[in-house]
Amino acid sequence: MRLVGQSVKRVEDDRLLRGTGRYVADVNPPGVLHAVFVRSTFAHARIVSIDAAAAGRSPGVVRIYTGAEINAMSYPMLPMLMLPDLYTPLVKALSDDKVRMVGDPVAVVLANSRAEAEDAAELVEVEYDPLDAVPDIATGLRSDSAQLWEKADGNVLYDHADTFGEVDAVFASADRVITERFSSHRQSNQPIETRGTVIEVDPVTGHLTVHGATQTSHMLRWGIAAYAGKRRIRESLKSLATKKERRAAFLTAAKKFTTDNADALKQSDNAGAAHQIKRDKSTLLHMNRMGLELLGQEDFPTVVAQDIGGGFGAKGAVAREDIALATAAIDLGRSVKWIEDRIENLTDGGHAREEDIEISIAVDDDGTMRGMKVDLVIDHGAYPAWPIGASLASAIMKVMFPGAYRFEAFSMRSRLVATNKGKYVAYRGPWANETWARERIIDVVARELRMSPAEIRLKNMYGPEDMPAAMLTGPTLDETMSTRATLERAIELIDRDELASLKADAEANGRRLGLGLACYHEAAPGPPNYNDAISPGSGALSNETARTVVESDGSIIAYTSQMPHGQSHETTYAQVVADEMGVGIDDVKLVWGNTDKTPFSALGTGGSRGGPLGGGAIKYASREVRRLVAEKAASMLEASVDDIEIVDGNIHVAGVPSRGLTYGEVAGAVATLDGEAFSHNQDYRGKGDGGWSCATHVCMVDIDLETGTVQIPRYFVVEDCGPIINPAIVDGQVRGGVAQGIGAVLYESAVFDTEANPQTTTYMDYLMPSATEIPEIEVHHLETLSPGGENDFRGVGEGGMIGAPAAITNAIEHALAPLGAKVTDQYLPPTKILELAGIIDPDRSSGSS
Amino acid sequence: MSEPTVITMLINGAPATIEVEPRTSLADLIREELGLTGTHLGCEHGVCGACTILVDGEPVRSCLMLGVQADGKNITTIEGLADPISGEMHPIQKGMHEAHGFQCSFCAPGFLMSAVALLEDNPNPTRDQIREELGGNVCRCTGYKTILDGVEAAVSIKSGDNTSSTNLAAEVDR
Repeated sequence: MRLVGQSVKRVEDDRLLRGTGRYVADVNPPGVLHAVFVRSTFAHARIVSIDAAAAGRSPGVVRIYTGAEINAMSYPMLPMLMLPDLYTPLVKALSDDKVRMVGDPVAVVLANSRAEAEDAAELVEVEYDPLDAVPDIATGLRSDSAQLWEKADGNVLYDHADTFGEVDAVFASADRVITERFSSHRQSNQPIETRGTVIEVDPVTGHLTVHGATQTSHMLRWGIAAYAGKRRIRESLKSLATKKERRAAFLTAAKKFTTDNADALKQSDNAGAAHQIKRDKSTLLHMNRMGLELLGQEDFPTVVAQDIGGGFGAKGAVAREDIALATAAIDLGRSVKWIEDRIENLTDGGHAREEDIEISIAVDDDGTMRGMKVDLVIDHGAYPAWPIGASLASAIMKVMFPGAYRFEAFSMRSRLVATNKGKYVAYRGPWANETWARERIIDVVARELRMSPAEIRLKNMYGPEDMPAAMLTGPTLDETMSTRATLERAIELIDRDELASLKADAEANGRRLGLGLACYHEAAPGPPNYNDAISPGSGALSNETARTVVESDGSIIAYTSQMPHGQSHETTYAQVVADEMGVGIDDVKLVWGNTDKTPFSALGTGGSRGGPLGGGAIKYASREVRRLVAEKAASMLEASVDDIEIVDGNIHVAGVPSRGLTYGEVAGAVATLDGEAFSHNQDYRGKGDGGWSCATHVCMVDIDLETGTVQIPRYFVVEDCGPIINPAIVDGQVRGGVAQGIGAVLYESAVFDTEANPQTTTYMDYLMPSATEIPEIEVHHLETLSPGGENDFRGVGEGGMIGAPAAITNAIEHALAPLGAKVTDQYLPPTKILELAGIIDPDRSSGSS
Repeated sequence: MSEPTVITMLINGAPATIEVEPRTSLADLIREELGLTGTHLGCEHGVCGACTILVDGEPVRSCLMLGVQADGKNITTIEGLADPISGEMHPIQKGMHEAHGFQCSFCAPGFLMSAVALLEDNPNPTRDQIREELGGNVCRCTGYKTILDGVEAAVSIKSGDNTSSTNLAAEVDR
């Protein structure tokens, strides 16, 4: 029986439900020192002095490093994604001259216990000379605001415009132009496991083993190798010059990289790098020195990660703290451990989505949407996330803003503004506010034209008859862009009679009912030209490699470069491998998270890539190994390879199962030195396969006009991610994403005061929704197959969060529109609901922002 | 700083005598001193519920209780749920497995212990009662539906009534 397509129970559960998983906080190398960071209490200030003398005498303290000390032994983190007009500040491991946010790390205390390290951190005396703070976008855009980064243009790090089609002509000739300003609030990923890193130092060799809560094990490895623990360049060069094998290995690797990514490299344009270097010449200097030093290193860290307590993008970033910890560990020659606390996590564990979006639609009176103009400003926070953050979100928004609709023209201006707040990171569907703003204004347009939200969408949306087509912004659309089919199915699932009766009942009882919908498609993995539309050549980042092995004893092991942190890869990949190899799920072992064993991938897990790319790589690797096994078995059984069947691990000639061989018998017949009888490495980019993942979300809200609380009596998603590996796991991904969207609109907001002091640093203030707030979300499936691809799995991790804020806010406006409400903010707590309903006066209620 | 105290407690059925600093939380005692890392710390201020354990059968946030307060108490953690001899999972563990209850599972120890306490008090809770009782635990991955399903599956498994758990499996398998 095929396992793919079934809700196979999770393999990882046995360990995790018994409490025998191993998360980073559970790792304690012998003699490990516990790290606590001394963090700024000011949002913006110069550091005058640091006095760690008293702290150093505190019991249990082994060493205290100031920012200046750590930075002298490490390189600043350099920009990865360089876009034309983007300046990315170089980030030091710890701040040494000035602080740019509350929580900015300025020193690190290492002690024998965490409690002792915390005691000592309290005693470190830092004298600050306060500067004016930039608490928000509006202040950051003012020319007289205090400047965070002296090499930036004021506080604007990026100001770039893109135009697709004849925007002016379209806007001039359309019957009307409808404009709205939307504002989305600061949110946080908030995995229940905070960040954490243990740097284990081998006392004999000095080799580093990094135990990380990371979504991207290989990036963490190379980030630490590149930035932590400076050596002398001269030594590096000498080592490189004298070691022939190293030189040869490097040249081979470089050649392989340039050959593998020839297309991408050819397309990548250098305007981004030129702009960055013009703004900050030291970028080039650091890059060269760091590069030379990497070449001379003898030994690179190993990253090991087993169980990870969620990430949602926040653990895709390599932290400044990681660099500081590794630098300290190298210097001391001792293992160090840092487990972030929740206050640190809410302050700087990752923020996202604080964006102002002005959007105009050029539309004809018959409802034909012809043009779109967007002015996006992102509140970037103080420090850029490494390797990617706000700049990537804006680049993806630029591509995805037109959505599934046939616009004739589109233009977008994007700005990133530095503020004295926590860093902006990728958060589940990092570009999601393009869907929010677009789907929000489409409802506004529909109301103005007296059309229904469904009617105007259906009128303007691409359908299967249009395929193949292309988005205005570049990416090809094929049949897998089935958003219209999901909308049509959603419309069927809405019970109009029930809705009408509920609505009447609500209104009779001081409540209001509303229905909202939202439609989107996401690249999962997208067509081959999708990455180039974001940034030419960026496709090189999304390669995946897998390796399948049959060992001499017949055991089957699959190695993935994915980094599971809740997505259940151990189950879904075993399903894929087991089907290919003709064995049961318990016969397959998945290896992940150990960079000495797993193949390289730049990104790890994120971006809805696990199904299509990681899954595709492992499927084709396994298929090839099955072929090798069948060949060997054919010769052993004196049969043709085409006649070999493998069922339940019995490798036999078709029709003669009684004379079959086991994997152990076939593998045992192969002479091997390394214990691997059969193996295959598979690089995979999803070219020609896969495509788009699509959905329509429908939300019903029931609003109490007395308390301003919003109930959600029904929420459903019609999604199409093609063939599903494990339906229960896909449904779980969708529901989890929607739950985060509900949290975002109704409960969660990372608030700062006018001096940029964070106000929501505990779960008493940053409200995480619980079982009593989240409705039971229905998930309905469509299954559109891609026209060309055999590997048709499509990603589904981001989608829930992309659709939900739009569907919920549309429902709320629908409910309250008869009272004159217009929803332009994404955050709608009870006070805001009552303001929208005209029950309380926004000018007289305070503190609702 | 005051001197360490020696306390005695029953942990997952086994007696333990241990020296503990007065300021050490029960969660840290269990994780660091006793090496039972199945109990997780999510917020360390009593909101997320990941560190929930049973103290004399009652659910307690182990991050908000001091180790010294556990003197003379009977403590159960996630490691104490399965049968100590056969290793067979507790019905709540089986129910969660059946229902695809968790994803990253960092919150799981707290939910499992809260659910065990719920089912001790109320062996046949309604869905709304389950929702209400688990309202003090936060999960960021699942949207909660499968966790509620998991408790219902545990009820069926406990009562030996496999029909509803089979139905649930069938529904999940659709």
